Formats: sequence, structure tokens, C-alpha cells
Amino acid sequence: MPGRWTKRILAVYFVLFLLFLYGPMIVMAALSFQGPQGTVTFPMRGLGFHWWNELVSGSRADTIRETAIRSLQLSIVSGLVVAVLAFTLSMSYRRRFRLDGVLFYLVMLALMTPGILLSLGTSFFWRFMDQQTSLWQTALGTNVVWGLPFAFLIMVAVWNRYDSTVEEASRDLGASGFRTFREVTLPLVWTGLLGAFLFGFTLAWNEYDRTALLAAGKNTLPLEIFALTVGSVIRPDLYALGTATTAVSLIGVGLFLLAAAIVLRRRAQTTGDVREEYGDVETSGGLAAGVPGSHTP
Amino acid sequence: MPDEQTLTQREGASTAPSPAAAGTGLELKSLTKRFGEDVLAVDDVNLHIAHGEYVVLLGPSGCGKTTTLRMIGGHEEPTSGDILLDGQSLLGLTPDKRPTTTVFQHFALFPHRTVRENVEFGPKMHGISRAERREKAMSALDMVGLRALADRRPSALSGGQQQRVALARVLVMEPKALLLDEPLGDLDRLLRLRMRVELRALQRQLGLMFIHVTHDQEEALSVGDRIVVMHDGRIEQVADPFTISNLPANVQVASFMGDNNIFEGTVTATEGDRVSIDGGDAELRALVPGADAAVGQPAVVSVRAAAVQVGAQDASANGPNQLLGEIEVIEYLGDLVKLHLAAGGRRLVAKVSGDRYPEFQGKEGESVRLSWKEEDVRLLRA
Amino acid sequence: MSDSSEREERPAGLHAEEIDEAEQVVGERAEEMALGEKERAGARGRRALTTAAWTAPGAVWLLFFLLAPVMMIVLVSFWTRTVSGFESVWTLENYEFLFDSNVYWEQLWNSFWHSLVIVALSLLLGFPVAYFLAICVTSLRFQIALFIIALAPFWTSYLIRAVAWIPMMGRQGALNTALQELGLISEPLDILLFSDFAVTVAMLQLYILFMVAPIFFMLAQIDRSSLEAARDLGANAFKTFREVVLPQSMPGIVIGSIFVFILTMGEFATVRIIGGGTVSSVGTIVQTQVASVQFPQAAASAVFLVLAMILGVFVLLRFSNLREDL
Repeated sequence: MPGRWTKRILAVYFVLFLLFLYGPMIVMAALSFQGPQGTVTFPMRGLGFHWWNELVSGSRADTIRETAIRSLQLSIVSGLVVAVLAFTLSMSYRRRFRLDGVLFYLVMLALMTPGILLSLGTSFFWRFMDQQTSLWQTALGTNVVWGLPFAFLIMVAVWNRYDSTVEEASRDLGASGFRTFREVTLPLVWTGLLGAFLFGFTLAWNEYDRTALLAAGKNTLPLEIFALTVGSVIRPDLYALGTATTAVSLIGVGLFLLAAAIVLRRRAQTTGDVREEYGDVETSGGLAAGVPGSHTP
Repeated sequence: MPDEQTLTQREGASTAPSPAAAGTGLELKSLTKRFGEDVLAVDDVNLHIAHGEYVVLLGPSGCGKTTTLRMIGGHEEPTSGDILLDGQSLLGLTPDKRPTTTVFQHFALFPHRTVRENVEFGPKMHGISRAERREKAMSALDMVGLRALADRRPSALSGGQQQRVALARVLVMEPKALLLDEPLGDLDRLLRLRMRVELRALQRQLGLMFIHVTHDQEEALSVGDRIVVMHDGRIEQVADPFTISNLPANVQVASFMGDNNIFEGTVTATEGDRVSIDGGDAELRALVPGADAAVGQPAVVSVRAAAVQVGAQDASANGPNQLLGEIEVIEYLGDLVKLHLAAGGRRLVAKVSGDRYPEFQGKEGESVRLSWKEEDVRLLRA
Repeated sequence: MSDSSEREERPAGLHAEEIDEAEQVVGERAEEMALGEKERAGARGRRALTTAAWTAPGAVWLLFFLLAPVMMIVLVSFWTRTVSGFESVWTLENYEFLFDSNVYWEQLWNSFWHSLVIVALSLLLGFPVAYFLAICVTSLRFQIALFIIALAPFWTSYLIRAVAWIPMMGRQGALNTALQELGLISEPLDILLFSDFAVTVAMLQLYILFMVAPIFFMLAQIDRSSLEAARDLGANAFKTFREVVLPQSMPGIVIGSIFVFILTMGEFATVRIIGGGTVSSVGTIVQTQVASVQFPQAAASAVFLVLAMILGVFVLLRFSNLREDL
């Protein structure tokens, strides 16, 4: 076990690490709140919501709104598909069949293949089949492929901790397969499904590589941002946009944490709590104490 | 009949074999451990253990036995007090510098190393040459009968085998004291019963100081030369198994050891060595030489279940040390029969020979006459 | 006590046969359960069908959007370029062009080494973070909370984080301003942005989490009492780390290295923004070729990118058995 000083040094290191990670975003958020004189970099010129206004009602506002809505739609659908596929694949993986190793590595391959390769390959494939790439076909397809491995790993972890004998108990008590699923299985694993959805959602929300060649002109938010960055002058309203999109992502993560925390608290009643409520078996006169006709002390 | 007074005042007869190490042994002086503000885990513990002794720390969870053991091993630092081994204080010494080794409850084997490498680990840390530590490891594995599995990983071993690896790993270190933290807790029952006999035999063969922590009363009685019963961080009684079992010092020990019938009441009379107690619905008289009980004083007594005699109900259930009781549950345990009775609002336990089972078979709900001798009424400290 | 060597026929030790026998009695139940499972597995027909049903949706999706694209890349690299894209006429001209191009090989080599450097850096800088979270933090709740906080940036757009790098590292950026205010430098440092150094730092920031997470998972699985056992047997803090902690974190190190390596090899957008056109990499080359509709060429470039990555992954995989350790 590490000593006290080791722990302290590592704690400081951890804080520095967080600053390193969050630094750019904090800076960007700060700069988005500049006044009209604000530029792309320091020093801060003025303070206000000017650029946020610009974002919402300025010259580029309409395109941005359109792409934002499109992004939102794509991400939600992507999240749902990812959750469903992760669920089905993890259910099949649970059953331990002969080729389940192949399945596992296939899913991991999805994680490890760079986005640009997938975009490229998919556009080739579609071209080859004389199909046009589109947002809802190819872009969705590739985004799901990106989110799937993460969601799959989450579900596998959930199933690992899951005690399947509760399903046996449920059948034993008269519930059909379907009812067992609805009444017993689903309530116990829904947080995993929520995590899967969130992964699918946030990854699609932020994804650039995989959507780049496949949206056929219909930009998602990240594509739009790229265009704005590379194509034209960067202004602080871009920072506002960046801060906003980041906020959406972080809210998603926050929701997940909240849900998980609620579930954990509900399940975490300790033996101490129970003892407070009901007393010890020993002191209350034993199990037979409540039976009418038996003696009580 | 052993001299009761002598037995209770001594810490009990030590039947330890000739020790492997020379020295004054282990000494715990006013050992205290406080966690944070409010948790007093170990409260002023004083204990002496000689080399070659098998000592068991026994008690319910939270009584401080594990914390005490960990302090001896150096995995916790005491808040105050001292630990001396052969006259030298161990305070401030990290575990790697102490001449003690620990067998952990869940074995704590290194999963990424083979069995042999696990056993070689300690010697390796002490700079012993490769050839020599291999030799030592193999002979330790011989001792636990696992030579054939030397090149397997722990995950390929059964629970009993893993525990033996854990044993070999500490034995190869030739420590001055071997600490065992609920070593049999993870094993199945039959294996536990077997292993405790083996542990006992091994200890006697080696003559090492064993300090064994458990919450299992039977296990403690089975292996220990001396038993230290702990409760709420304090030592309640230190004695050999016979004394602990027959002459518990107080209520905590008596109720924890189980199969003791405990009566609370007030002293009504004293006549020389005899003390009469009114326990509400039961009248008891104890034969306690040298007791100084005053009339009106509250008193607690215990009667061992095996000392309770059970007979058919007849009219006379008057007088002290007698009671009428109703049989609630009959437990036939082969060699003996345990009768769980309800008598006047309390629950009592009686043990009779297994041969008498036909007498009671099917008689749940019937009343019987319980009685015991006054010598078997043990007056407990409050 | 008499001399023990006289009394005993055998040396000190446990009676192994009796112990094994006692354990056999228990073992039987485990055997029965295993046999029962085999029986259920043997109900081939219906079981296989259900499994196939569960596997089908995901497998089909992956077939279309993962396997097919990758195979297409290989195929197209051997096909001919046309005005509209490509046609399925076999040719090696794409590869010939590639082998002639020095720039490409240089870039490939650079990317390869650059990625290795980043892997090494992320390991050095990321391991302490994982160690802190997994071993120093003892409360499970805190562990998870801090882990999520550290991981949260992953769920933000890496593009945005890259963009935000400019106000952070530019001539008038936050870091330069701060350093000047503190009197550590008199003039803004130019190398912070638009340089190799900047690219390295930016990529570290983006991908270091892929190193931290797997290591964290492996470290979190280490049995704490085995660390105590190591101390107990004579290992000091450093030796405990080297002999017990490090070996068990190896699978995490390998996985993390693979992830980071692959991600850095394939990226391009970051480089474009941070490098500002002065720094190029294989990924950038692929993108420029695509933009000017040279699909087969792009495919050929991509194939080599893939091969370079597979080589790297192969080397890394030699160090660990991925499936078992997970």
C-alpha cells in the first residue's frame, strides 16, 4: 500500500492532469463570454453575451441551427440503435457459443479501426453498389459502428455481475420467459442500457471522422465546425458553439451518473440499516417469535 | 474434579510443544487502536504469548480480533501501546521488516505467478540465491503436499490447495510467529474440519507460535492451546479450551460460546459457599467456593446445556435448580441430541446422549422436567 | 517432548491425501452442475437458433459497415481510377505510384515513430493517474466519480478540444500570457502552436484517456490483500510495485498502447488545425487525395496505413493474452 507522501504527490499530479485535460475547454468557454471586441485569443476584451447572441441569431445562425437539429436527431437514433445492438450482441455473447471469440474480436475491431478508414471504405462500398451515401444510411451506419464496442463492453460487464439464478427463481415462481425478462432482468440491467445509449449518443454527437465523407453534403455539427474552422475566420461565436456542444455532452454524462447513483443508493441498504429497523434475530426471540402461540420473552 | 479456583485464576494449562524459537515471546502492552474519532476497535489489550504456543483470538465480528492480529503483523499501526517480540518493540516496523508472516483469509496468492514462484517470493525479497530459494520452496511444498502442482497457476487450484500454497508461502519464511486471519473461512465444511486438525498437527511438529483469528467457537476449541475471547475491543477471558468451555468468566463469553443457559436475577441468600438466586420464574442455587455475593445484588449465572438433565414430567418441579419446560425443537446430531425448550418465557438448551433419541422422538410440544446440579451453576461476572 | 525424529516415520507436514479426500466430497456438486450445463448446451437445435437470432442484427450491421468497407479499401487499391471514382479494372499502378513517392514513405515513417513516442509518453504520464485512481483512492464511490470526471472530456468533441488549443497555446494564448505574467519568459513561445511539439501535446491530451482507462481497470482488479501479502513477505514499496502491481497491469498497458497507437496513426483533423499546414502526416495525405477524387490512390495509401498499424499491433500483442485477461 502506498505511503502517505506517495498518495499526496499522486493527488497533486491528478489535479494537474485534470487541468491539462480541461484547460482548453475552460479557456474556450471563458473567451466565449467576451464583448463585441473579442477576438480569438487572449486578452479578454469585454464581457457579455454578445457572441452567444451572435451564435443564436447571427449570420451563420440558421445553418448552425439546422445542423444542430440534424446532429441531435442522428445522435439520438444512433444511441438507440447502439443500445439495441449492444444488448442483442451481449445476450448472444453470454451464451458462450463456439465462435464467440470471433464475435468479440470483431467488435473490438470496430473500436480499433480508424474513422477515416471506415468513412473511406464505406463510401467506396456504397459507390460500388451504385448507391448514394446519405446521412441516414451511411453516416448512421458508421457512427453506430463506432459506439457499439463501448456499449458492448458495458453490457458484458453488466452481465458479468448479474446473477442469472434470479431468472431461475422467477420461472420457478410461475413467470413466463417474457415476464421474467420484463419484471426481473430488465430492471436489473437498465443502467447498462442507459450507458449504452449515452455512449452511442455522445459519440455520434461529437464524431467527425466517420461522418466526414458520408453525409453527402448534409452537415452534422462537427462537420460544420470543421468547415468553419478551416474554411473561414474563427470568431468567438465558434467558441460559444463549442462550449454549447460540450455542455450537451457533459449533461449526458451527468444524467448517467445521476441515474447510476440513484440505483446504487436504493440497492445499498446495509445490514446496519436493517438491524436498526428490525432488530437482531437473536434478541427478538428468534424466528418463531412472530408465530402466534409461541412464547415471547 | 479440578480445583475450580486454581483453574480460574491461572490462564489455563498450556499444552504447547517444545518451541522452535527461544526468547521471551510476544507481548502486547496496553494495545489500543482507534479509527478516526468514534471507532474504538481495540481497547487496552494486554497479552503474553510464549513461543511454541497455539493461541486463538476468538470473538464475534467487530470485536477487535482481526485488528489486533493486523497490528502484530504491522498492517495497522496502534494508536497507543506497544508490541514486543523477544523484548524488542515492533512499533514503526513495516510488515516487510517484521519476523512475522500472515496467512490471509482469501489466501492473497499472486495470480500472475506459479505456485512455486509464489512460495519463492519471500526468499526472493530477502535476497536468497535462486538455487537455494528453489530448494526451500520445494521443501515447503513437500510439507503441504503440493510438489506436483508447483508449476500451476493459483487460478487452476481448488480452494483447499490454494490455502496450502498460502501456508507453504509463509512457512518457507521460518517466521518467529505465524499469524492466521480466519484461515479456514473460505473453505467448505468438511475441508475445514480436516484442515483444522492438520493445522494443529503441523503446529506441534514445527513448534512455531501460531496466532489464529476466528469467530468459530468449535474451531477455536479444537486447535488452541489457549483461547483469547474478545468482545468490543477488550479481552474477556484468556484460558485453555476446557476452562473457557466449562468456566466462562462472564456473560459475553458464556453466550458467545453457545450452548449455555443464562439466567439473570438477584441474590436472595448466601450460606457459606452456596448462593441462592431468584431468576424470576426460576430459582437457582450455585455452589461457588470463595464467592462474595451480597444479598440483593444482581447476578448472572449460566448452566451448560450438557449439564441440564432431562426427565419425564412429574409433579415435583419445586426447589432450586429445577424447571418445567416444553420441547420446541429436537435436534438429533448423531452422538448427541440437542433439545430446544421453552421454560417460563425463556428459551433453554439441553444436551443429552444420542442414545436417548427414541425417548424424545416425536415429543415436540410435550413438557419435561429439567434439573441440574448446583456445582454446574456458574456465577458469572457482570 | 521426545525427539521428534524418533517418533515419526515421515517429516513434518500435512496429510495431503486426507485433505484431498475431504475436498472431493464438496467437489461433486460442482461436477453435477457442469454436467447439467453441458446437457443444456447439447439441446443443439433450438439453442443454436436462439443464439443465432441474438447475434444476427449486430453481426449483419458490422458486416455492412465494418467488414465490407475495410475489404473495399483493399480492393479499390488494386483498381483503376476514373473520372467519377473508380472501376473494377485490376492494376498495380496505385502501388507503383506510392512506391515512387518519397513523401509518402517519409510521412508513413514519421507517423509511425510519432505514434510510438506518443504511446510511450501517454504511458509514462497516464500510468500515475490510473494508479492514483485504482490504488490510492480507497472509497469505491470516489474512485468511480473521479474516474468519470477524468473521462468526461472523452465525450466532448475532439475537434472542439483541438480548436480550443489555439487560444490556449497561441502567441497570445492563455499559457503564454500566464508564463509572461509570472516572469518565466519574456517573449511568447512560438513552438507551443503550429509545431511538432504542439501536435504531440495536443494528441496526448486527446488520447491519453485511452491509456488511462484500461490500466485503471486492470489495477482495480488487483486483490488488495495480495499487496499486503507481498509486504508481509519482505517486499518494500518499490518491490511490491515491480513484482505484484506492474505485472498485473500489463494487459491494460498493452490494450492502452494499442488504442493510442491506432488512434494517433489514423488521425488527421487535429494535425490540420494545430499543425496549421506545416505538419503533415499519413492521415492528411489520405484526406487530400480523397478531396481531389483519387480514390484508388487514397485506398492504396490507406492500405499501407492499415498495414503499418497491424504491424504495430502485432508487436504489442506479443506481450499479452487479450481475451483471457479481460
